[in-house]
Amino acid sequence: MNLKFRVVSIIMGAALLAGASAAGASAAGAPVAAGVPAATATAAPAAAPAETPAAATPDFKTLDQEVQGVKKDVIELNKDLFVLEEELLFPANTQVAVYVSMDVGTFFALDSVTVKIDNKEVKNYLYTAREADALLKGGVQQIYLGNLKVGKHELVAFFTGKGPMEREYKRGATINFTKGVGAKYLELKITDKVSKHQPEFTIKDWE
Amino acid sequence: MLRPIVLGGLLLTLAPAFAATKNVKPDPNGLPPHEVMDLQYGDVLFYFFQDDYFDSITRLLAAQELGRLRHTEGEAELLLGGLYLSLGEHVEAGRIFEALLAGKASEAVRNKAWFYLGKVWYQRGYLQESERALRQVSDQIQPRISAERYMLLAQIMLRQGRDDDAVAALSNWHGPPDWTAYAQFNLGVALVRKGRLGDAVRYLDRVGQMATANEELLSLRDKANLALGFALLQAQRAAEARPILERVRLDGPYSSKALLGVGWADSALGEFKRALVPWMALRKRDLLDSAVQESYLTVPYAFNQLGASGQAAEYYNSAIDAFDAESKHIDESIEQIREGKLLDRLLKDDKKDTLTWYWQLKTLPEAPESRYLYQLLASNEFQEGLKNYRELKFMSRNLDDLRQDLSAYDDMLDTRQHAYDERVPKADRVMAATDLDALTRQRVDFESRINEIEKRSEVAALGTPEEQKTWARLKRVEDYLAAHPEDPDLTDMREKLRLEKGVMYWRLSESFKARLWNERRSVKELEASLVETQKRAVLVRQARSGVPTNNGEFGARVAAIRARMDQLQQRLAALSERQNRFLQALAIEELERQKQRIEIYQIQARFELAAIYDKATSEKPKAHP
Repeated sequence: MNLKFRVVSIIMGAALLAGASAAGASAAGAPVAAGVPAATATAAPAAAPAETPAAATPDFKTLDQEVQGVKKDVIELNKDLFVLEEELLFPANTQVAVYVSMDVGTFFALDSVTVKIDNKEVKNYLYTAREADALLKGGVQQIYLGNLKVGKHELVAFFTGKGPMEREYKRGATINFTKGVGAKYLELKITDKVSKHQPEFTIKDWE
Repeated sequence: MLRPIVLGGLLLTLAPAFAATKNVKPDPNGLPPHEVMDLQYGDVLFYFFQDDYFDSITRLLAAQELGRLRHTEGEAELLLGGLYLSLGEHVEAGRIFEALLAGKASEAVRNKAWFYLGKVWYQRGYLQESERALRQVSDQIQPRISAERYMLLAQIMLRQGRDDDAVAALSNWHGPPDWTAYAQFNLGVALVRKGRLGDAVRYLDRVGQMATANEELLSLRDKANLALGFALLQAQRAAEARPILERVRLDGPYSSKALLGVGWADSALGEFKRALVPWMALRKRDLLDSAVQESYLTVPYAFNQLGASGQAAEYYNSAIDAFDAESKHIDESIEQIREGKLLDRLLKDDKKDTLTWYWQLKTLPEAPESRYLYQLLASNEFQEGLKNYRELKFMSRNLDDLRQDLSAYDDMLDTRQHAYDERVPKADRVMAATDLDALTRQRVDFESRINEIEKRSEVAALGTPEEQKTWARLKRVEDYLAAHPEDPDLTDMREKLRLEKGVMYWRLSESFKARLWNERRSVKELEASLVETQKRAVLVRQARSGVPTNNGEFGARVAAIRARMDQLQQRLAALSERQNRFLQALAIEELERQKQRIEIYQIQARFELAAIYDKATSEKPKAHP
């Protein structure tokens, strides 16, 4: 009766060899079913053909490499367009960029920032938890990118959020700066002042 | 399991580099201030920390091109490699890492970068490249990463059929308990493949009896018991196989195969009635499972062995009908896949806004062909191919979005040109009406006149108009008196003139210095105004000639990007189609494999049925001679 051996070897090959790829790298956690073609599974189990995914087939590799190439070109095009946009809309001689950074955040949980330049509100930004978290991890947000004439200007920033003891907290910071012929970068910095158990809000003028 | 390791790993890879951007000087307030070295690098991290790798890499490449990462060049390049890796761009990531890691990177950074690159290459089936990368990792690495690295290396060997190498690599390996279980399982598998069942039993049995509540390890335990049970069955050791197969959980994914095996163990021991219990239970399950399909043959086989050939024939007939119906279902599914909509149906409910290499399709849509595709989904090749297809679609949507931006830029440039064309005639009129050279000459003359007044002390020259009028009248009177020197009637007049002229002169002299200073200040202001006007005139002239060039340059760049975009869209469409056909072929191949297996079972059932009928026919004459 060869039925027994045929069936056993089918399952055997599948069960053993499917197991070999289990160490945290198997795909999708989809159920692994027997799949060795019966026609090739009549051999002894020890010689059963490998059911584990083998190395990538040439077709897959060729396609994969072409996909990689086109993806890289799309990324490159995105970059070129990003640079074009900045040079077209915010040329260096008039460009002003305002960034927000946050350090530690023990005494302040950021909700929103309002930016006024020369008494005109240019940005009012409400933060998601994910964005506030990205700031805490060391990310710096470009909150505003615009154009200003050469000369003297004033920037006022208002920060709202939860301060010490979970209280609503709103503070402002001001800077007078001179816009020259090059791009101007300003950093709104939120830091913890441990000695006073209070957050501190400052503005740094990047020359 | 993949996601947290990869993301955590990338962050860890960055951590030492990022620490270098912070100010390490002690802070009087107690906490070290977080000093940003390059604002634009922080901006890149802002998106990176939100897992928005596409925006992050765009900004990073732009900042590099614009030369804005002067202080963070090294870590930015490392992050770029990590971002490429996260986006599945392993070739580019490999190129960056190879260039970067050969040099000054620390051992910890180097180890992690090679490890993740090796892992992605393994996932994509680039086994040789994966092994090369993983072998670059030194032992100075976290135990869990080290364990995974060893396991990946062993799996590469198994996938390449290098069982001896795998056995050698795993035999003396010790690591964290869960990884040790995987190692022992893989070692057992490699030993069975080498025909060393005696050695394999020790390892597989240990995994098969481990105490755990972790679902992943419970599943591994089931697999170990299943593998060992069938290995023993194959070695004609059914009595030992049975209790091992009974360890497999009845509600786990391997229960069908275990039920089949338990039946075979009973059958091998001659206990056909007992074998019918698991096999009948199995027969009630979904026919899609190959173990269930086999039970359609084993149940009548057992009945036949028990001498119940009538029931056996009935079950074989039923099996033939069931296989026939299943075969038709598979044919229908193959037809539907050939219509070319499989991938779009698979991705119908997918969230399309993220792009990460660890993405995997977790659920199958309600569709007739879905039930046959579970096995296919378990294969790396299909999952990675599907991921590629999904990414191609993402890129195509991205280009569609950018195309709208380009149209806006075109409009903007048109508007600028229009405004320029309107303003130029007015500017030209103003420029033509303004003789800056004449104004400059006038200023020089004016300054010379002031100098002359000062030199000659012409106090009256700086008087008010009224004073100058009075002074002129006095001068006329003086001239008249000078023309009539002998007239005695004018004596009083002469005295009056002398007095009035003296008073007037005294007044003019008193304010002369202040007035002179004011005049000189006016000259200076005039000079400054003239310089400013000249500057503006230069700017106007530059703008007049520069704007068309600028607009033209920008227009050319926009046009070039649009052309690249068109060409990329064509490539994306062609590759999507090829990827679709490739995956479609894989799916059809899988379905045909299942159909072929069912057909073989069907032939087997017909053969056994014929044998029963033959036997029945040949026995009849004996019963009724």
